[in-house]
Amino acid sequence: MALMDALPLQSARWRPWQPNPVLLCLAVAMLATLAGLDVVSVAPNRIAAPTGYSLWGATGIPGAALALLLLGAMTGLAAYPGRYRYPALLTVSGLLLALIPFAMMLAAFRLIEPGVAQARLGIGPALWVLLFMLMLCLVELRLRMQLARGWLLLMLLPIVGVWWLCAAFWLDRLALVQEFQARHDAFYRALVEHLALVGIAVTLSTVLGVAIAMLIRRFAAGRTTAFAILNFFQTIPSLALFGLLLAPLAWLSARFDALAAIGVQGIGWTPALIALVAYSLLPMVRNTHVALEAVSPAALDAARGMGMRPAQRFLLVRLPLALPILLEGLRITTVQAIGLTAVAALIGAGGLGTLIFQGLGQSAMSMVLLGALPIIVMAFVADTALGTLAARLRHGDSTRQGDRA
Amino acid sequence: MSPDLQRLPGNPNPLRWLMPVVWLVLLGVAVKAMPLATPALEWLSPDTDGVVYERTAFTTLLWRHALTVGVAAVLTVIVGITAGVAVTRPRGRDFLPLVGQCASLGQTFPPVAVLALAVPVLGFGTLPIVCALVLYGLLPIVRNTLAGLQNVDDTLIATARGMGMTGRQRLYRVELPLAAPVILAGVRTSITVNIATAALGATVGASNLGEPIIAGIVNGNTAYVVQGAVIIALLALSVDSLLDVWQRQLTQSRERH
Repeated sequence: MALMDALPLQSARWRPWQPNPVLLCLAVAMLATLAGLDVVSVAPNRIAAPTGYSLWGATGIPGAALALLLLGAMTGLAAYPGRYRYPALLTVSGLLLALIPFAMMLAAFRLIEPGVAQARLGIGPALWVLLFMLMLCLVELRLRMQLARGWLLLMLLPIVGVWWLCAAFWLDRLALVQEFQARHDAFYRALVEHLALVGIAVTLSTVLGVAIAMLIRRFAAGRTTAFAILNFFQTIPSLALFGLLLAPLAWLSARFDALAAIGVQGIGWTPALIALVAYSLLPMVRNTHVALEAVSPAALDAARGMGMRPAQRFLLVRLPLALPILLEGLRITTVQAIGLTAVAALIGAGGLGTLIFQGLGQSAMSMVLLGALPIIVMAFVADTALGTLAARLRHGDSTRQGDRA
Repeated sequence: MSPDLQRLPGNPNPLRWLMPVVWLVLLGVAVKAMPLATPALEWLSPDTDGVVYERTAFTTLLWRHALTVGVAAVLTVIVGITAGVAVTRPRGRDFLPLVGQCASLGQTFPPVAVLALAVPVLGFGTLPIVCALVLYGLLPIVRNTLAGLQNVDDTLIATARGMGMTGRQRLYRVELPLAAPVILAGVRTSITVNIATAALGATVGASNLGEPIIAGIVNGNTAYVVQGAVIIALLALSVDSLLDVWQRQLTQSRERH
């Protein structure tokens, strides 16, 4: 995202007096989606084939009328300029997002008879598309209103709260919620394992990456070799890198009792961690290297002129100035590691990938969702948080320079 | 003739085809003559009987892998370049910020999660992985198309307009040819990354070069994993070096004019 932020976006200015074709298209597309695709599906049990229902069939007149009203309002607001239309559009989008769980509750009430204990409600394609398009609306509105990314996240918090409340208390017919209730211990364990693996891998690769980047700066001759080795790791498919470590590690732990004692095994967290770190090193080293090289020589000269010692120059001048690009490397590494850790489940490392692959094996799609959705949310949150932090730091730098000038 | 002279515009390096040929020959050897490597593979995993993956021929796997990546690449290139061109035209400029953000979002979605979400809709097999690859490969192409088109010198476009060129002529005769090397660099990144990512498709039942890797992980047979990994890496290197030659030629022909 940082690269897109750097592109000149002239059209992103606040222009309340012109129609907004983007939101107009999105609103019409959402209306078409609701008219054409199934909103929810009902399955008699966990793995039986579900039957789909349209918005009309699932929620009847009240749901369809409300959706039509809100999307109609959105179309109107997007087409006809007005002073307060962007805040109004933001409100409408938020309302639509917050109303989705209530529509599902209504559908569950109307479609599932209370006696059928096994029956469960699935989320239909129309709802996924609607969710995706509403997210696009929020992105577009954020860009038009020039809100910081953090504000959007803050605004989403109450909506997520509403969803969570609904899911916790009233949406027990939803397949995803039933799946969670059936295995919430396994879910929390997988979540903690996933976070731990990502956390340790990112920490290790940050420390190693910064160390290697500094070594490369000191010994320039090794630069080509170092980057060649790191590039080589990236050509090995992630899937294979996990598999390749199985046998050597099993051999090592069989030979050396000390290694076996600390838990080094052919399968499990050891190969996963090694593969994750090997994969994370290239973006980390490259960005650290670029970041440290990009610091302006004038600033370093000034620091030398002020009588700073080399260690001071590095810690007080070079490192703070390099921090935004360094954080960019951290962002890429973290997002990549969150996704790769899902693959690590194949070699018994645990994490949310376990739920995905088990669910795929049992063709239980709600279990797959239970594993995949948190991964996407985590990747998105990490991307947003680290991106915001980097932007904030960069912004802080430029204002400070501006003040001096 | 000194080596520097050979690389002048108009004198393309005669050895430029060397690397692609080397990689392609190695790829062919790996696919056709894997049994020759049996001693080395036996050393890798001594406890197993069959060390060469034989359930499906490597040629078939390679062909399927290339087809998967190829279809995804064609879709990505069409969608990515069309989107990039559309949002830089005056009429589509309103969509520029959104398209930029969408392309970035595509890369934030982990491929495994996309695969998992695509299976309920598309079923098991090759379709989910094509879907995941398209989503994952879009960012480099859209980003480079935007960067390439926006870096075209404004005075050149103004000159073209002054010569009486229509918008379409300006796009096809001025902007796209000038942006081509940058766009091709994006296509190259996208395809190379996707050749490795496509192996993930084997987890949802797609039959490609990921198949030996999964079989190796499941049976604890490192030799299978190595075979899959080596062929995928050679395929990636071959395609990358071929596109590299094409990119150099484009850049050189631009310098010549």
